[in-house]
Amino acid sequence: MGTLGRAIYTVGKWIRGSGQALDRVGSLLQGSHRFEEHLSRHRTLMNVFDKSPLVDKDVFVAPSASVLGDVQIGKGSSIWYGCVLRGDVNNISVGSGTNIQDNSLVHVAKTNLGGKVSPTTIGDNVTVGHSAVIHGCTVEDDAFVGMGATLLDGVVVEKHAMVAAGSIVKENTRIPSGEVWGGNPAKFMRKLTDEEIAYISKSAENYINLAHIHAAENSKSFDEIEVERALRKKYARKDEDYDSMLGIVRETPAELILPDNVLPEKTTTRVPTTHY
Amino acid sequence: MATSIARFSRRALTPNPIRRFFATSAALATNTEAPKPKLTVSPSPDRAKWDYRGQRQIIPLGQWLPKVAVDAYVAPNVVLAGQVTVWDGSSVWNGAVLRGDLNKITLGFCANVQERCVVHAAWSSPTGLPAETLIDRYVTVGAYSLLRSCTIEPECIIGQHSILMEGSLVETRSILEAGSVVPPGRRIPSGELWGGNPARFIRTLTNEESLEIPKLAVAINHLSGDYFSEFLPYSTVYLEVEKFKKSLGIAV
Repeated sequence: MGTLGRAIYTVGKWIRGSGQALDRVGSLLQGSHRFEEHLSRHRTLMNVFDKSPLVDKDVFVAPSASVLGDVQIGKGSSIWYGCVLRGDVNNISVGSGTNIQDNSLVHVAKTNLGGKVSPTTIGDNVTVGHSAVIHGCTVEDDAFVGMGATLLDGVVVEKHAMVAAGSIVKENTRIPSGEVWGGNPAKFMRKLTDEEIAYISKSAENYINLAHIHAAENSKSFDEIEVERALRKKYARKDEDYDSMLGIVRETPAELILPDNVLPEKTTTRVPTTHY
Repeated sequence: MATSIARFSRRALTPNPIRRFFATSAALATNTEAPKPKLTVSPSPDRAKWDYRGQRQIIPLGQWLPKVAVDAYVAPNVVLAGQVTVWDGSSVWNGAVLRGDLNKITLGFCANVQERCVVHAAWSSPTGLPAETLIDRYVTVGAYSLLRSCTIEPECIIGQHSILMEGSLVETRSILEAGSVVPPGRRIPSGELWGGNPARFIRTLTNEESLEIPKLAVAINHLSGDYFSEFLPYSTVYLEVEKFKKSLGIAV
């Protein structure tokens, strides 16, 4: 059996080799229009000469994000997919428990109309929504920047303030504490209620938990991914709700169970109880 | 004894002018900068600054695995995470992020999500209805849009850089202008053109315009076919990885 296994292995290797040779023939036929794939050269954390990012060990930085230059990120924060934090000209400091959601941009320019260049400071427990653009601003603790908002140079968002989605906040605007500003150009809209202020802190906390899951998933090695893929295929069954209605109890393997704190308010019954 | 004294004196003398120069330049630098708040950051030396695998396109979370139909085109720098289903004929263009980690995201037949969009689903919607994001068939979502827990009924066009917030509903055959912001829980009625921040009624659509909407989706479907055929079914990067590892002496 050992020699048979080795023989099959060798035949497999020949077939792969001939497949690669065929691939080379095909590339030759395609000539100058052919596409050759290379390793990804995307660098998640990159130094710009002597400025290097300082990222806490607890932080989730998505692999497709770019943290470049002089950036400091405190513990528990998360930088989601596709973000760009460019600390090349000046310093960017992101506090702890902050989340900078997908496709956002945090930057500071070398020249702006006033001639002043200030570092960008984002405080603790701030939620920066998807696709926001933060350019040379100060965002204080527990603030909420809505998705798609554009904060231009010198803007100060005070504690517990909210910038509505899609707003464009003009240069050097100061958004006072406890207020919602929105629109283009951003104007005062209304005051925040207490429960909304509590919601902001809760959302930051939810994101910290969510970030742990994404961090764990993104840092898996090739073998772990393959093992889980096999497990998922094997345990791909019907919905948990369907099963619970029939009174069936199915086991999900430990690797495929998400931690409970990600989905808030969900009654956690990993092993569904029988219903009649 | 004499040699050690000589060594000690040499060490003491020569670096000094250089050290003094650095000290003065450092002092100048700190004087001109504004005082920064102290942030205690404890970096981990194991953090990977560069992963040769790049960003994975499909990110399963727990039991949820994003499903992509066989003829759907999903660009290589798209991130699909969690409960995302991309149905037949649809396309997701470069740089989009579809994050179904809190709730489901469905992209219907022949729908397309264009460049750099972010589609997310909140855990709960202010309307009380299920907060999943549903993009029905023949919908064109323009570039740089942000969709969050919204429902887009069949045959719509969402303009570029528009923002649809939680619980919003865009009814069939309506068009949202570029740059429009739909506040949470709003409904865009069927067959109308809305736009602005916040989205306001502009005019009703003529019948010809309504018929153009699915044609646009189909045209983008054809375009995505061209892009789809550019990619091999399996990547050949593993050859480069093997070559790389061999040159570094790592066991393949």
